[in-house]
Order: sequence, then structure tokens, then C-alpha cells
Amino acid sequence: MLDLLVRYRKYSVLTLVVVAAVALLTAQQTRPGEGLWLAEGIATVTAPIQTAFARVHRGAAALWAGYLDWKHLRADVARLRAETAALRLRQLRQEALEAENARLRTMATLRERLPERTLGAEVMARDWNGFTRGLTVDRGRADGMERLSAVLVTGGVVGRVAVLRRHSAVVQVLTDPASSIGGVVLRTRAQGLVEGVAGGRLRLKLAASAEVLQPGDLVVTSGIGELFPKGLPLGRVLRVYAPTGLFRTAELEPAVDLTSVEEVLVLPRGTSGDLAPAFPES
Amino acid sequence: MRLPLYVLAVSGGALVQFTVVPVVSVGGVVPDVPVVLTVLLALRYGAEAGCLTGFALGLAQDAVAGGPLGLHALSKALIGFVSGELPRWILVARPIVPIGLAVVATVVDGLARFALLQLFHYPAPLGELLARVIVPQAGYNGIVAAAALAWPVGRLLPRR
Repeated sequence: MLDLLVRYRKYSVLTLVVVAAVALLTAQQTRPGEGLWLAEGIATVTAPIQTAFARVHRGAAALWAGYLDWKHLRADVARLRAETAALRLRQLRQEALEAENARLRTMATLRERLPERTLGAEVMARDWNGFTRGLTVDRGRADGMERLSAVLVTGGVVGRVAVLRRHSAVVQVLTDPASSIGGVVLRTRAQGLVEGVAGGRLRLKLAASAEVLQPGDLVVTSGIGELFPKGLPLGRVLRVYAPTGLFRTAELEPAVDLTSVEEVLVLPRGTSGDLAPAFPES
Repeated sequence: MRLPLYVLAVSGGALVQFTVVPVVSVGGVVPDVPVVLTVLLALRYGAEAGCLTGFALGLAQDAVAGGPLGLHALSKALIGFVSGELPRWILVARPIVPIGLAVVATVVDGLARFALLQLFHYPAPLGELLARVIVPQAGYNGIVAAAALAWPVGRLLPRR
């Protein structure tokens, strides 16, 4: 019998295994719900190992989840930064458009108030060194512009056309040290000369030292010399100096912030009359 | 077959099945590593080793799974025996054979267990089991078998 088992060993093993398995199944089928000691023994051995692996797995999963969260957070931060930058850029563009719109609207209003047909121009460049102060505008001889024409904005006088080219022109601004315009103090009608001063301010020179000046007095063009019509605002008295000889001088603050001029109106040469009503705010 | 290798294969296979396999679930489908291991060992060491390996691994699966004890043991023992007999009739040196056998064995193992479970009035219909468990698992086992053969572990086992 033993020889037979050895000779057919593999079949013997198969039979043994099948019988054992069937016996186990039969035992459970006849007594359902009862646990077998063999199952409990195996489970007792494997349970702690399973628990340990489960803990390692949970730890690794938590670590992975944390890494993914961090990765997503970084991506979110980058996306939000890009969005913020784009929105800021959009806001800046919007603000620039609104400012331009407001400027153009006030310029249009001024244009309507002025009696003569004016020429609108846009500032292309600024020459702001200490010796000369000028603005280059995008209109020139081809547009009908003339040399020495008065250049204005809604606040008052900017300067005059000093250099005329075919498609552009250089405007000598009031504060250029070489600039000199006849002015009159609106309150007292005292006449004098408004000159540019290095540093961006204006100086008013009155011929009679007895004339009384007060800080805040508005000085407008006198209309003498025919380059500038009467009544265009030049500046306000900032400081009055003690009289020297026959002259009394005062420092003026320009009526126009010349550093921020973007668009200008050019009056045709020979414009006359009092234009003060066109500047009601002054 | 050397005993240490046999013990290592059984304990390692069981450990992998109960710890690593639940983690590598794809759409709720997990591989049945003991089937793959039983087939590969049977092809290399013969029917007797395959039968005993299948029985031991299946018994461990039954114990841990909490189902009827002997269910996996019987089906895997039969698979191990039949797989061990195959080299007598077919050439198993080409990798496609053990991989294909692992796939077929998984299906047979599933069908065998389903048949045995009828003793315990198992309620699930066969069609649903085939579509959702057995066939996907067979595909997964084919991948695991291919990976095991490509891996150095597959080459560690000496040929018969």
C-alpha cells in the first residue's frame, strides 16, 4: 500500500489535499456559522502582520495625500498670482482709458468754448532738461500749424510753437528759461512780464514797484504782442519778493501741470479778443 | 523543490495578497496573487509542488477572507496540479504560455469556487461574477504574471 502511494506520489498528494479540502468544506456545511480552529489559528498569526502593513499603508497614503495637497496648492497659488497680475494690468488699462477719456472730454469742452477753430495735438515726447523745456506734439506744418501759435489746455497756457516741422512741432513751454510772455494780474490789472525759471516755476516782473501783489493772485495773458490773446491763465502768485529798484517780482505756480500734459489745443495765429470766459474754473 | 523556497513562496505570496494587493486595486478589481504564484511554481516544480502550494496559499486565503475554509484551498490545489502536469504536453518555455495560463487559471479558479459555493447557497449570479470579478481579475493576473516573469524573482526560480 505504501509502495503504491510512493509510486503515485503526486496523485496521492492530490487525493490527500482534495479530501482534506472537501472534509473542511463539508464540516462547515453541516455546521454553518461555527468557526474552525484551523481558520482561527491562521488568522491569529496573520492578523498582527496585516495590522502593521495597514498602518504603514495608511501612513504612506497620508504622506502621499499631503504631497498632492501641497502640489495642488502650489499650482493654485501660481494660477491665482497670474490671474491677479492679469486683473491688475486690466485695471491699469481701464484707469488709463478713463483718465484719457476725462482729459479728452475736458479738451472738447474747452474747444467748444474757444471762438476760433483750434487744432488738437497729442504730446509725443518731452524735453525736460534744466536748460530747455519743450514738448513735441504730433501735428506740424502739414496740419496747418503755424510757428509761434499759442498752445493751451483746459487749465491755461502751455506755451508756444517754437519749432515747426512737417508732421510734428516742438512747443516751448512757459517754464522754459527762455520763455517770456506778457501777463496781467487779474485782480489789479497790473501788467508785467512772465518768465520761465530754471526749476519749473514762473517769475512775474512788474514794472511799477508800488503795485500790490498777494499770494493766490491769478495772472493771465495781457494780449500785448499779439502772440497770445488776452485772458489765458498763466499762473498764480505763490510768493512775493521785496521790490528791487523799479521792479517788483513774484514767484508764480503755473496754471497748468506741465509735466502731465498729454493732449493740447493749438490756437491759430492772430487769434484776438478776451478768452477769459473760456476758462471759467480759473 | 527545496523546502525553504517553498515556505518562502507560500508565506510571501500570502503576505503580498493580504497586505499589498488591497492597495493596488484598480476600479475595485484586485489581482489574485496566489493563483499566479501557484501556476508559476507548478510550471517549474511540477504537479506535486503546485498542488501543495495551491492548497497552502488557498487555505491562508480562506482563513483570512473569513469564507468557507477549504474553498480557495481546493480550487487552487487543483489548478496547481493541472498546471504542473502541462509541461508534459505543451512547451512552456515561451513567456506567453505562463501568462496565458495565469489568465485561464484565474477564470477556472473563479468558476470552481462559484461551483463549490453553491453548496453554501451562494446568491450572486454567475454572469455578474464573471463580468465584474472573474474576467477583470484574470486580466489583472495576466499583467502580474508578466511582471513576475520580467522581474528578477521570476529568474531566481530554477527550471525543471
